[in-house]
Amino acid sequence: MKAMRAARRRRYVARTDVMEVLYRVYLGGLAALFALAFLAGALHEVPADPASVADIGAHAPAIIGIGVALLVYAGLRAGARGGPLAIEAAEVRYTLLAPVSRRTALRPAAVAQLRIATIAGAILGAVVGNFVFRRFPGSGVEWIGSLAAFGALVPIAVLGAALLASGRRLRPPVAAALGLVLVAWSVLDLAAGWNSSPATMLGDLATLPLHHGTEAWLAAVGAALALALLAAGLLGVGGVALEAAQRRAQLVAEMRFSASVQDLRTVILLRRQLASERPRRKPWLRLPGAVRHPLWRRDWQSFLRWPAVRVARVTLIAVGAGALAVAGFSQTPVLFALPGPLLFIAALDLIEPLAQENERPSLRLLLPRPSAGLIRAHLVVPTVATAVVLAIATVAAAAIGGDPGLALGVGAISLIPWALLLAGAAAVSATNDPYEFMLVSPELTQAINFAPIVVAAIGVFLPLFIAWRVEGGDGARVGAALSVAPVALVFALIGVGVLDWRANRREREAM
Amino acid sequence: MSAPPLRAHGLGRSYDGYIALGSFTLEVPAGELVALIGPNGAGKTTFLNLAAGLLEPTAGRIEIAGEVPGSIEARRALSYLPDTPVFYEDLSVAEHLEYVAALHGAEDPAARIDELIGRLGLDGWEDALGAELSKGMKQKASIALALVRPFEVLLADEPLDGLDPPSRQVLFDLLAETQTAGAAIVVSTHRPDVIAAADRCVAIRDGRLAYDGKPDPAVLEEVFDPSELEGA
Repeated sequence: MKAMRAARRRRYVARTDVMEVLYRVYLGGLAALFALAFLAGALHEVPADPASVADIGAHAPAIIGIGVALLVYAGLRAGARGGPLAIEAAEVRYTLLAPVSRRTALRPAAVAQLRIATIAGAILGAVVGNFVFRRFPGSGVEWIGSLAAFGALVPIAVLGAALLASGRRLRPPVAAALGLVLVAWSVLDLAAGWNSSPATMLGDLATLPLHHGTEAWLAAVGAALALALLAAGLLGVGGVALEAAQRRAQLVAEMRFSASVQDLRTVILLRRQLASERPRRKPWLRLPGAVRHPLWRRDWQSFLRWPAVRVARVTLIAVGAGALAVAGFSQTPVLFALPGPLLFIAALDLIEPLAQENERPSLRLLLPRPSAGLIRAHLVVPTVATAVVLAIATVAAAAIGGDPGLALGVGAISLIPWALLLAGAAAVSATNDPYEFMLVSPELTQAINFAPIVVAAIGVFLPLFIAWRVEGGDGARVGAALSVAPVALVFALIGVGVLDWRANRREREAM
Repeated sequence: MSAPPLRAHGLGRSYDGYIALGSFTLEVPAGELVALIGPNGAGKTTFLNLAAGLLEPTAGRIEIAGEVPGSIEARRALSYLPDTPVFYEDLSVAEHLEYVAALHGAEDPAARIDELIGRLGLDGWEDALGAELSKGMKQKASIALALVRPFEVLLADEPLDGLDPPSRQVLFDLLAETQTAGAAIVVSTHRPDVIAAADRCVAIRDGRLAYDGKPDPAVLEEVFDPSELEGA
């Protein structure tokens, strides 16, 4: 096995274009430098006041712990479905069916995946630490060191949990239950002010320079538990079920290809398959019989068959977006750039009925209605559903932040423009054909692929940023946010125009 | 008395209530060639995947040389020739053969590799990567990979697919030699020529055993529509 792997490595290196790799490293480095410079300029490097420091020291470990617990939950779920390793079909066929130790055969792949994730996590942690130490007590070395260690240990815990679940062949409900217990434990820590969950202990590590005594020791315990989880996962890696591993390998290969051509819709469909996320056989609620608007009824039926996990995911995204908006007001406005892309991801789920209509041209073109009108009609229900998600985000922001009036005000005046913008952007993305302009210009194709997410980011960023920037009371800030709301409406109208143009063009081509 | 190379008892596999294979019982002694037949979706490939350890049964049990599929001993005893050839994208045909032979501890692999390459008409393609092979060449390389190593049981899923008539004859010869050497062989097929060459015919329909006996065309025609047997 070693000789074969060495031969494959040599061949890979021989085939690799060194200049291409250097060019990518150069571009990546340049982008990272710009991002760091932008963040450094945007962040307020004013030391935080003692009350904020005390508040963060008391609550941040548990909040971070909830995030870690959610990631471990995701790792356990992925592991129960054959992850985290994506084993080549040939590796299953020839190596794993050979009379050799599967643990020995799979460990290098696990270690390689772990190495990449750990290094990336450590670098990200160090970068964040580099900004944090300017605002909080503690030296740069302490913050960079603790956040780099935290960044490295999170993927260790997540991959360890996933390897454990796949190697021990935990059934998906059992894995999910274990993950949820950890999430609930961390939530309990936050509510009760405890420091008992292993995930909270990792949160202690992330904020180590703020702690002394017992909490510092708990951070060490958290790190040790994460390493123990990994050790247990690596020991059992040979127990992976080949059936799940093969299925996952095939889906991951397809997903990588789709991601390489920025085919977001296919990536989403494959991810759902990977997570075995299927519509419910029995809807949450049966709609009454009268059919006045068959398209809208069909769209609601789609939402009423959402699996619980998708409902939970979209709700969590909404809460996360609300929390980020609050953090933007209290910490740094850079964070306002995140709710838009996050809500766009939720909108990609919400646009499902329209996406399905688009993907079935033979059915659509047999209907006695123009395609453009049909697609436009399919926008209505997803927009309403997106507004509901935005309302959840607004309520979350009001509950989490210290100024509910401002959160509710900005949320209320932005709700409709944002819902139209996000549903429109998601619809444009879901109906995008990544190969349409590939031959004309790969750069144009990339621009078209990324445009919806950029537009969503800008459209949500602007009202939040303006409301933060303006001096005065809540009324003045809400008024300022209202003044830029038309930008989102303009983006939404452009989106509808693109959808019309695409539908008409494809209808003409089909005739 | 040693365990038969392949023994399945009450074997079943279902997916969310759909029964792909139900209560399937079969024993294949050493040196016997069994033709496994049935219409598309009958459960043939499911059975082969269960025997290979690629799927896990939801009912009953199956043993390969007295061991549970997937165990080291079962993997040593069983060779699987799947319906779709799969290759590492960065290994040549010869490197695949060397690798598989080495993993299974084949004795004098170089001679066996040369023999298989010569007989299967892979000369000149030893250094080709999987992506450079035609469908027929891929199938030949896949056959070579299944036969390059020692085994007690050979499972082959539609092994004649994509082969030209001379290559089919070579495969028949290789199967006959394997059989003479004492291996139990199960070949999933729709082809009358394979059925005729078999010692025994096992038919599956809707996941259930429909026939187990001599490959008698009269009996088979009662079980199947002739078109289902002559698909290839």
